[in-house]
Amino acid sequence: MPGESDPILGSFSRRLRINRWIDIAQGDIIYLRKAMQTNGPPPIFNVAMLRILKRLFSGNESRLKDAEILRAVFRDRYHHFKLLLNANNRALDHMAEIQDALRGSKAFGMDFVRSRCTAISTSVWRMIDNLNHLAPDKYAALNDRFKAIQNRINHFLQSKSAAKDVPFVVPLDRVDIGMKDTVGSKAAALGEIKNRLHLRVPRGFVVTAEAYRRFLEFNDLQGEIDRRIQAADKDRLDRLYDLSAGIRRLITRCPLPPDLEAAMDESFQALEKTEGRTITVAMRSSAIGEDSEGGSFAGQYGTELNVSRENIYRAYLDVLASKYTLHAMTYRLKRGLRDEDVPMCVLCMTMADASSSGVIYTRNPTDPQDRRIVITSVWGLPKAVVDGSSNPDLFLVSHQQPPKVEKKEIALKDHAYICFPEEGVCRLEMGPEKRGMPSITEDQAVDLARLAMLLEDYFGYPLDIEWAITHNAKPLILQCRPLHGAGKPMDKASGKISAASIDTVILSGGITASRGAASGPVFIVRKDADALRFPKGGILVAAHALPRYASLLGLAAAVVTEKGGITGHLANVAREFGVPALVGMTGILTAVVDGQRITVDADGCAVHDGVVQSLLEEVPSHTTPIDRGPVYLALADTARLIIPLNLVDPDAPSFLPEHCRTFHDITRFCHEKAVQEMFRFGKDHRFPERAGKQLVCRIPMQWWVLNLDDGFREEVPGRYVTLEQIVSVPMRALWEGISAFPWEGPPPVDAKGFISVMFEASRNTALVPGMPSRYGAKNYFMISRNYCSLNSRLGFHFSIVEALVSERDTENYISFQFKGGAADDKRRSRRTAFIGDILVEHDFQVDLKSDHLLARIADLEEKEMIRRLKILGYLTIHTRQLDMIMSKEEAVQYYRAKIAGDLERLLGPEK
Amino acid sequence: MRVGDCSVLFVDDEIDFLETLLKRMRKRQVEVFGVESGEKALVFLERTSVDVVVLDVKMPGMDGIQTLREIKARYPMIEVIMLTGHASMEAAIEGMELGAFDYLMKPMHIDELLYKLEDACKRKEIQETKIALMNEKAPAPDER
Repeated sequence: MPGESDPILGSFSRRLRINRWIDIAQGDIIYLRKAMQTNGPPPIFNVAMLRILKRLFSGNESRLKDAEILRAVFRDRYHHFKLLLNANNRALDHMAEIQDALRGSKAFGMDFVRSRCTAISTSVWRMIDNLNHLAPDKYAALNDRFKAIQNRINHFLQSKSAAKDVPFVVPLDRVDIGMKDTVGSKAAALGEIKNRLHLRVPRGFVVTAEAYRRFLEFNDLQGEIDRRIQAADKDRLDRLYDLSAGIRRLITRCPLPPDLEAAMDESFQALEKTEGRTITVAMRSSAIGEDSEGGSFAGQYGTELNVSRENIYRAYLDVLASKYTLHAMTYRLKRGLRDEDVPMCVLCMTMADASSSGVIYTRNPTDPQDRRIVITSVWGLPKAVVDGSSNPDLFLVSHQQPPKVEKKEIALKDHAYICFPEEGVCRLEMGPEKRGMPSITEDQAVDLARLAMLLEDYFGYPLDIEWAITHNAKPLILQCRPLHGAGKPMDKASGKISAASIDTVILSGGITASRGAASGPVFIVRKDADALRFPKGGILVAAHALPRYASLLGLAAAVVTEKGGITGHLANVAREFGVPALVGMTGILTAVVDGQRITVDADGCAVHDGVVQSLLEEVPSHTTPIDRGPVYLALADTARLIIPLNLVDPDAPSFLPEHCRTFHDITRFCHEKAVQEMFRFGKDHRFPERAGKQLVCRIPMQWWVLNLDDGFREEVPGRYVTLEQIVSVPMRALWEGISAFPWEGPPPVDAKGFISVMFEASRNTALVPGMPSRYGAKNYFMISRNYCSLNSRLGFHFSIVEALVSERDTENYISFQFKGGAADDKRRSRRTAFIGDILVEHDFQVDLKSDHLLARIADLEEKEMIRRLKILGYLTIHTRQLDMIMSKEEAVQYYRAKIAGDLERLLGPEK
Repeated sequence: MRVGDCSVLFVDDEIDFLETLLKRMRKRQVEVFGVESGEKALVFLERTSVDVVVLDVKMPGMDGIQTLREIKARYPMIEVIMLTGHASMEAAIEGMELGAFDYLMKPMHIDELLYKLEDACKRKEIQETKIALMNEKAPAPDER
């Protein structure tokens, strides 16, 4: 039994000298009382029981001394302690996850932010609750701090709700660019073009964000959608696919609120009246926030063409549901957009029966120095251009007045989309005479270029414009949005193939849709199901550049398609994510086979066999950047209330509940106090079987062991315990490291090191032999079968190892703290860094602050945890006075090699 | 305390999820029951006693929080674990304050859930032992 001079235990007992038993009994009574207050007298508490409680409370404690009750109480306390440790471990794990996410290691959505915040607050709450059981009413202030921090976090998690008083439907001729937040970016831009620039835009109306909110609210949908997103395993593509299909089905099966349906029908009739004929409409998504944060949603969402009056409701739901297509969901995830901050507005415009149509880019998206206007054009509706299913005609027009067609490539257009008279569109095989004919004349191309320049001037940035020509009238503008990927500097000439690599070319041709080069195994996607097996780093090879392949761009190293143009959706997203892409590469499907390793040189318009290093080296490998979008900011804001640690020194007077400013502070505080409470309990001499015992061992130091629960093989009477009696898994592992090699004693000190030690010693009486000091040479184990903490203050070094090791991998952790030393600050820091290096080599997460080291490792299986504990045991003993030699490089080298050798012998060969 | 020694009632309106979970639990030798609403859970508990209830938070009719409140009022010794696909800090803390043992989020690893069940069962067993001991060692004065 340690006496009063005992450095760690002594200070606790000095601070508090109250009767433990009353304390414990009170804890239970408070617990039971609380239970009764909230719930009324439960059946289990009979009258006799209440009398007992009363008597206990009035101080009659004698009967409580019964060993059986004590043991039960102790088990109870230990279980609270263990639950507190679990919660602590869980909280720290989640904090690490948040830090990882903020470093950009993976894409995440609001569900991640919400679920991690919820998990952390639950864990923190459980720590406080368990500490309150160990020490009732002692740290009540923690609850207030918890509430205050939680409220502030909640503030960041709530979604922005937009302005009210907006009608469900707004006519397009009353829309302008200022109405982005009610009608979405696409509709706002078209309204501006129609009503301010007075250019030709079809008539129509917009179903607003308010209508969307009404729809969700009417069907109570957002909660269900959030729930499904959270519950899905987002690392698995097939699960994501199921998720997406499930949510879309959910939406399309919901009824429309009657008031919304009425408003839509009214608008449709009004539109028909203005047109003076029976009409059909095109219904396009116009999501809010589409062009924010530099992301272009380019065709992420659905469009329903040629819809008749009775079907506008179904089409409306289909467009809403397209918010949850696989590629739209992955896109939002990558771009860090909050699901609930992207309300879907739907733009309904009179269907333009186009004879030809296409897309204009006001400059070359793959080469910003090329200012020429790019026009792609097909017969019929522009669907064939956007979905990449057909090769369009290409016109390059000079960016000048008057514009001049500088280059044209007329493609073989084997099919076109046209409107059925009543509803729907069909794909029409083109006759041989029209197939090779230009779909627009040069004059029309010049007209379109003029329009493009006018719009670019007006908006002030490069644009992506969808247009249609109906039976030789002037072009109509169907869509207009910022062109993504334009304006990035280009650093090398395109189109060159290194001489060394020319003989590896399998196929050349196609058009650069997104620049760069990459290599990887071919993965041919023939049907949607193939996409689910797409391997990370594979080269996506497909017949068409279909928009839905965009969801694979996070995985694909490069893209090659037989059909499609650079103005298609897939090309857009490829540029945005920096994935090299070649489209319109005829013959690629037969030129390569699945699994074949190829190098795609998008700049050089060629596909090479094998890995052509010279091509790859020219281009820095692409990474998928995580935008610092609204989701990222929400996480960053909440992280500031969760992660920083302000309460670092448990001996400081400011180590108080009131000073907890973050959840991390609360966990730190609870952990420290819980350990103290456990010590206090075991210390009580009226409970000898739980008191500390001295370990019988050969190492000439004092080791004390406090058994918290089931750490001893059997009941151990008396003052001493032997190693054989100890069954604590982590303690035995630590001990193996501690006792494996005899300690060599302090290393030979250089003169400077000696002076440095003397200087520190003169300032610190603890270092002077014979002086009573709290820095005595004693070490304390607190153990159970699966838990162990070791506090050692050896000489002037201080370290704490804490470990929980069991078959529950996910609860396993080891933490190690190391501080102090007798030499000057610089040497101490060097030694801490020295130890840190060794720990990092063994997978620990290490945090160094001058001479203070914090290391942690978690979630490994038992066997691995034991290895790490042996290392810590070894280091605790053998690095003890290394700071004295830290200025001599050769000595450092010597010890580094010695430690490496010792550890190798200690651990045996890996695996 | 092994989880095999205790009985668990799962309450979840997502039938597919519930059935899969029950199947997996049975494979792991846990004695489990399942019902698909809060109302049914209360009826079930009138006839059958269990150690732990695992409650979905969002259910039509009586929701998880209401059900928790009722269970804790009628059977304070039963430990309740909240399991939800809908992460909400308020709901989590409300549940914990009402005496829930823990608040878990889907998707979750089956082992994780087993550990929680084990911990909850142990908590209940300890609590009961303690009360039983106090009951038996300290008879009321007028009973002598």
